[in-house]
Amino acid sequence: MSGSAAIRHWRAQRVSALALIPLALWLVESLLAHLGSDRVQIQTWLGQPVPAVLAAALVIVTFFHLGLGVRVVLEDYVHTPGRLAVALVANRVACWALALIALAAIATLAFGL
Amino acid sequence: MTPAERPLSPHLQIYKPQLTSVLSITHRGTGLALGVGAIFFVWWLSGAAWSDACFRAAQAFWGSWLGRLFLLGWTFSLFYHLLNGVRHLLWDIGFGFDLPMTYRTGWTVVAFSVLLTLFAFGGGLYAWGSP
Repeated sequence: MSGSAAIRHWRAQRVSALALIPLALWLVESLLAHLGSDRVQIQTWLGQPVPAVLAAALVIVTFFHLGLGVRVVLEDYVHTPGRLAVALVANRVACWALALIALAAIATLAFGL
Repeated sequence: MTPAERPLSPHLQIYKPQLTSVLSITHRGTGLALGVGAIFFVWWLSGAAWSDACFRAAQAFWGSWLGRLFLLGWTFSLFYHLLNGVRHLLWDIGFGFDLPMTYRTGWTVVAFSVLLTLFAFGGGLYAWGSP
């Protein structure tokens, strides 16, 4: 990473960490409140605007923060340049894919598609 | 020129673990564990959105002993990573960087992670009943 890219990474990791503090606590509370819920109850929950927006925000910030963190781990432990390049791309693709699947699921539940 | 075959630091065979290094590697480990948890969360959410079979499989997994062991691990990982993350953010703004305070905040993070885990997981078990 170049110097300015490293600073952007550092800042992005901290800003996303701050956003995840309330979102993660909300997730714990929500999951505890929905233990054993069936699909209809989950739909009713995420059919409300506030939980749907919070869930979408949680998914976006989580996979953004996770991608940054896994990137650092890969850069620390994968020493072969070719393998590292492949691993970094795989990390990005996986985080994007998981975030998009989760967002599509939330949209389906929220709008009852 | 081929690089000399020399040991790479840290010299783990002779390295004496201390609270600071153990908490640091635990931060990384819990972060990765939460990443795996996020994948399971997407599985469950996809099931809720699109597939009865997928949703039932996810719910059955959470209900099993193995699933609950995973949930216990993720609950601890979340609280630990969150609290130790706050510790990192405090360091970033210049607070608590001296050694006695580093140890004090470290033990505080450990104690509150365990307490919050017992509280949340115990509450969950109480609400849901045993498998």
